[in-house]
Amino acid sequence: MRVKVLAFAGFREILGREREVEMQGDASIRELLEMFASCSPRFREAASEPFCALRDHVLLMVNRKRIDAEKDLYRILADGDELAIFPPLAGG
Amino acid sequence: MAPAVEITEEEISLEQMMQRARSSQAGAVVSFLGTVRNDGIEWMEVEAFRDLALSELEAIRQEAMSRFSLQAAEVAHRTGNLAVGEAIVAIVCSAAHREDAFSGCRYILEQLKSRAPLWKKEISAEGGRWVEGE
Repeated sequence: MRVKVLAFAGFREILGREREVEMQGDASIRELLEMFASCSPRFREAASEPFCALRDHVLLMVNRKRIDAEKDLYRILADGDELAIFPPLAGG
Repeated sequence: MAPAVEITEEEISLEQMMQRARSSQAGAVVSFLGTVRNDGIEWMEVEAFRDLALSELEAIRQEAMSRFSLQAAEVAHRTGNLAVGEAIVAIVCSAAHREDAFSGCRYILEQLKSRAPLWKKEISAEGGRWVEGE
């Protein structure tokens, strides 16, 4: 299963703007984020509270729709999904 | 014809936006220009989730057009590296009467801040800091 990951602002500096990730079998959003955290201590520090809870300032979109970081974290991603990771918006 | 919403690495021309907003039906043209403030910074970096930001800005613009009976509305947001004093965002609204033009301009700005996927980083001699969202 391949998922496209887009990252912006501080998360782009850690993960890069865009990458394709290959996952074995079914994988949830949480598992994908845990994979990033295990590969990148900077990502772990930026995204996680102690005990692996996601920080409030981590916003997520799947296929351009905002998802609830608490309720939808165990949602299984589908092949071809696009996950976007970014901090709270700060334009203007 | 210039697009009504724009995300650009080029300098924004508020004068041209104002000119386009003028019409025989408009009794008021209101503009807002957000600029890079010198809080001890050297420059600012602005980043966008570009296609999503464009569609969100267009949705906000259309909401403002219908809520406040605007004659015209345009929004332009910069990306890239900006010097102190440069324009980050420009909004122009025209309407038959000033109340609607002011309200439309403010509505677009406030909605943009909470809905458009855009981020700013302030760079100073000490390093860079992403501006926290409101």
